[in-house]
Amino acid sequence: MERQFSFRLNGRAVSVSVPPAYTLLEVLREELDVTGPKEDCGKGECGACTVLMNGRPVLSCLVLISQAEGAEIVTSEGFMKEESPSDVQKAFIENGAVQCGHCIPGFIVSAEALLSRNSKPSVTEIKSALAGNLCRCTGYTSIVRAVQETAQKRQEGRS
Amino acid sequence: MRLADIDVVSPTSLNEALTVLHERSDRIRPIAGSTDTIIQLKDGLLQTKELLDISKLGELRYILREGSRIRVGALCTYSEIIESSVLASSCWMFLNACRTIGTPQIQSRATIGGNLANASPAGDSIPPLYVLDAMIKVQNSERARHIPIEKFFLGYRKVDLRPDELITEISFEAVQSPCDATFLKLGLREAHFISLVNMAIRIRWAEDGASFSDLRIAMGAVAPVVIRARKCEEFLQNQALGEDVVWQASRIASDEASPITDVRASAEYRRAMIPSLLYKAVHTLIDQRKAWEKR
Repeated sequence: MERQFSFRLNGRAVSVSVPPAYTLLEVLREELDVTGPKEDCGKGECGACTVLMNGRPVLSCLVLISQAEGAEIVTSEGFMKEESPSDVQKAFIENGAVQCGHCIPGFIVSAEALLSRNSKPSVTEIKSALAGNLCRCTGYTSIVRAVQETAQKRQEGRS
Repeated sequence: MRLADIDVVSPTSLNEALTVLHERSDRIRPIAGSTDTIIQLKDGLLQTKELLDISKLGELRYILREGSRIRVGALCTYSEIIESSVLASSCWMFLNACRTIGTPQIQSRATIGGNLANASPAGDSIPPLYVLDAMIKVQNSERARHIPIEKFFLGYRKVDLRPDELITEISFEAVQSPCDATFLKLGLREAHFISLVNMAIRIRWAEDGASFSDLRIAMGAVAPVVIRARKCEEFLQNQALGEDVVWQASRIASDEASPITDVRASAEYRRAMIPSLLYKAVHTLIDQRKAWEKR
């Protein structure tokens, strides 16, 4: 029972032929080889599969591919400049916010979703924007600091 | 059943959705944001060979004010509700309750109609809608029904929704002043938690600010469905709000609940937390009024 689905992924048009109840996460990882989003819990608890769908952060393990038809999807890869890391990714590295790295693509997407709506987030706002992403290695202080630092640098870059 | 074996029908209009539902109501299961249903499917708690995906029906995505009436399309997501300027000015308590639901990722997808259909006794949008005397509009391919929210919930995870019907709208009266209502919830951490107890309260202030009339108190996660604390409402009606009175009212509310023990909390703990929540709710209303008068 395969069907054709088309959507935009990281700025380019893609088309896949898969069963209609495949999850968006399965399609990204298995069909399109986009492996930034990870499957950890598969139940909407951990946030490792977070992607942007039409500008909002969603859990790709809880979106069916038929629901993503025609949507604009952005994964952590989509924020990179060619092959080099984005400013958020650099800030994570510089702040030691990454240990095993498994949860980080989800954090990157949640951070970008926040910064696209709020260029000067408070620590509380950062924490609540990242509340749907779990990290089991680093603790969250360095992650919050990395997002804060990115926001500051983007502000300075603009002024 | 593997997800890959399930067929998905994606109608592009409400009419089309209702027609499909009419023809296949014995075997097709509607999904909207699907933040609960996909988990239920993965866990085998829900079995179906066909899903009716209504998540893209734009005609059920609106938040309108018509006079004093607020109309919310059933497919509004929590993100849309939280960002709604109509709700911010007409029912801050409901918006605030929705803000506490799930995580940003869940809020992007989960819908108000889905939360009602899912009928969790701990659903955080439900107590606010109880105290707002909300009406639920459901439709099949032939007619619409308007059901008062308290009649919509029939029992534990049971709602008055027939297999060929969809929830299409939730409506209620705007709250006059932001100091007339509040919502509180208690959980085990600050974000992404399921309520152990939640409570919504709506009142009318006496002129002198010393008592309430026209009270509505709804409590969630303390009975198979959300309940109104009617004895407590009656007791507090026009009573001067002294400490003794508030504590006495809190104990009455606690006696009206029938909580159970589950993975999140014991029945005893839930019952013990009701007085604290009601006490806090009354004082939140008092503080909100003070802040409102000073503005």
